Amino acid sequence: MGKSKKKKSKTPEQQQYAQFEQKHEIKRPVVRNCVVAFLVGGTICVIGQAISYFYIYFFNFTEQTAGNPTVATLIFLSMLLTGFGVYDRIGQFAGAGSAVPVTGFGNAVISASIEHRTEGFVLGVGGNMFKLAGSVILFGVFSAFVVALIKTLIMKWVGV
Amino acid sequence: MLIGKQSWIFQSKPAIIATGVSGGPFEREGLLPEAFDILHDDLWMEEPSYEQAHRLLIEEAVEVALKKANLTNDDIQFIIAGDLINQITPTSFAARTLGIPYFGIFGACSTSMEGLALSAFIVNNKGANYIVTGAASHNAAAERQFRYPTEYGGQKPPTAQWTVTGAGFAIVSHSTPNQTEFPKITCATIGKVVDLGISDPFNMGGAMAPAAVDTIKTHLKDTGRKITDYDLIVTGDLGKIGYSVALDLLHGDGLNIPEEKFKDCGLLLYRDDQPVQAGASGAASSATVIYGHLLKQMKAGVYKKILCVATGALLSPLTVQQKETIPCIAHAVSIEMDS
Amino acid sequence: MVKKQIHPIIRLFLLLISIFVIFSGCSTDDNNANSTKALIQTNNPPPSTINGNEKDQKLVMDVKKKVMSKKEVYDVSVIKGEQDILVAYKVRHLKRFRMKKIEADLQKELEKEFPDEKFTISSDYKIFLESIRLQDKINNKQIPKEDLEKRLSEIIKLSNEKT
Repeated sequence: MGKSKKKKSKTPEQQQYAQFEQKHEIKRPVVRNCVVAFLVGGTICVIGQAISYFYIYFFNFTEQTAGNPTVATLIFLSMLLTGFGVYDRIGQFAGAGSAVPVTGFGNAVISASIEHRTEGFVLGVGGNMFKLAGSVILFGVFSAFVVALIKTLIMKWVGV
Repeated sequence: MLIGKQSWIFQSKPAIIATGVSGGPFEREGLLPEAFDILHDDLWMEEPSYEQAHRLLIEEAVEVALKKANLTNDDIQFIIAGDLINQITPTSFAARTLGIPYFGIFGACSTSMEGLALSAFIVNNKGANYIVTGAASHNAAAERQFRYPTEYGGQKPPTAQWTVTGAGFAIVSHSTPNQTEFPKITCATIGKVVDLGISDPFNMGGAMAPAAVDTIKTHLKDTGRKITDYDLIVTGDLGKIGYSVALDLLHGDGLNIPEEKFKDCGLLLYRDDQPVQAGASGAASSATVIYGHLLKQMKAGVYKKILCVATGALLSPLTVQQKETIPCIAHAVSIEMDS
Repeated sequence: MVKKQIHPIIRLFLLLISIFVIFSGCSTDDNNANSTKALIQTNNPPPSTINGNEKDQKLVMDVKKKVMSKKEVYDVSVIKGEQDILVAYKVRHLKRFRMKKIEADLQKELEKEFPDEKFTISSDYKIFLESIRLQDKINNKQIPKEDLEKRLSEIIKLSNEKT
């Protein structure tokens, strides 16, 4: 068992260098990144809504049930873009705008499985597929559980 | 012979009699395609995996160097080489194919000069007649190991660097004083591990700059030379940020070297419109530019005396996750043309 | 020669557009001017009955008036069959936050006002669209009553689907 971490404080020389180095660093363009992420993420959501309407209009899905085929279609598109090597360029341009929607989640799983094809299907693809997405699934399910628990307890107390 | 604290001087001045450099598609579109003897169209190079393509780069570079020197594998005593991949397997597997007695070394991106210093020492002390030395890296194999799958759409910050796909190898051998057509290795300084507390793996240039400056200062102190003695001091892969930090640190210590005489291999390889953010990195960054481009320039008379300082960041994906800082190292080798 | 990277993207878009065009051929056969407008504009369709007698006509008019009296609702379609009344309504966009409450209130009010009728209410766009299409079918007097009843019960079943 590793010892609990004692915070490694920097020596004065290290602190001085850190300040010095900061001046030379090319800073991330935060405002530009935020604006582009907003626009690209919004565009992906508009495309998703259009796909949803497509399913509602032409097929026998209600607003409630059209969620499933819409997400499936978006992940299919993300698979095509990842496979063609386009999604990483979109990602470099858009940042969070392409990483946060479900297409980004699809890209994480798909890129990992493409990458590890060379190690075989079971240990390579299967074992490494959720390398990036694993924490999303774990913490998503766990926080849903916690929130549901809190809601149930509150409803019980308020209901009584 | 040992001079100063951590430097060697080579009295017999071993010569670099031939070089072989191979590269990938990005390097083909870069600024120095003529520095490469072999250029590939894609990262797979018709091999079943990126790591095996990596091995192929090494084999091809060594074979080209041997052909240029008119030697066979049996003439070479040792191969001293390394790369970035776990357990340096691409280099080991290439050594299997080449059948040359093998020293596998790991210095991250400083491997090329570490190998050159060791080769020059062994040849100088008559431990071998011919040694092949070099370093290699492969963009996809390195990304896969150190960062994310290659198709992952993560956004790289402007301080990140692009790992070079390529291999640079040189054949070091004895020289005689009247052999003036080959560049000669005169002295070398082995670097200490320097860690000034940078922990961002996307900003390795900023982490490596102090190591480069420390080695340059130690080199000048040990050998008694002045910084103006050199026509060019070139670092391996500091990139935009590391280069400007190193230049500032040198000027701050009174070593006023002008910008034309202080260059970085990472900034020489790629064009501005290629998406490499802060420049090139990787063990092949220094190896390909020094062995492919700079030695040609020396033979053409552009430079007479250069100091090659290859810089390496000694991190692993695990140390980053364990929130450790990035220790770095730099090795310097002085290469001169006899007049 | 290094191939330019644009081509895969253009190929992808052409592929997508052709897929959409092909799939739109899978549409059902009752698309006309009314249903295309259904999602976009306020249709304000007149309430209909399948069997068409006067008592039922008056009933559905009252139902429509009752539903429209709620200010969050801006479009209603009412269809009465043999036993069920299907009420499909659209909620104003900003008021969609209280969708569940509106639905519960509406159900309670309708059952209080018209205790003998069985109501199925839905705020879903799809149900609204299908009820518009069904009304067009009703107005087209060629189709027999059993088919209309069957379609109505299908729509009601669709509105109860959860996944």
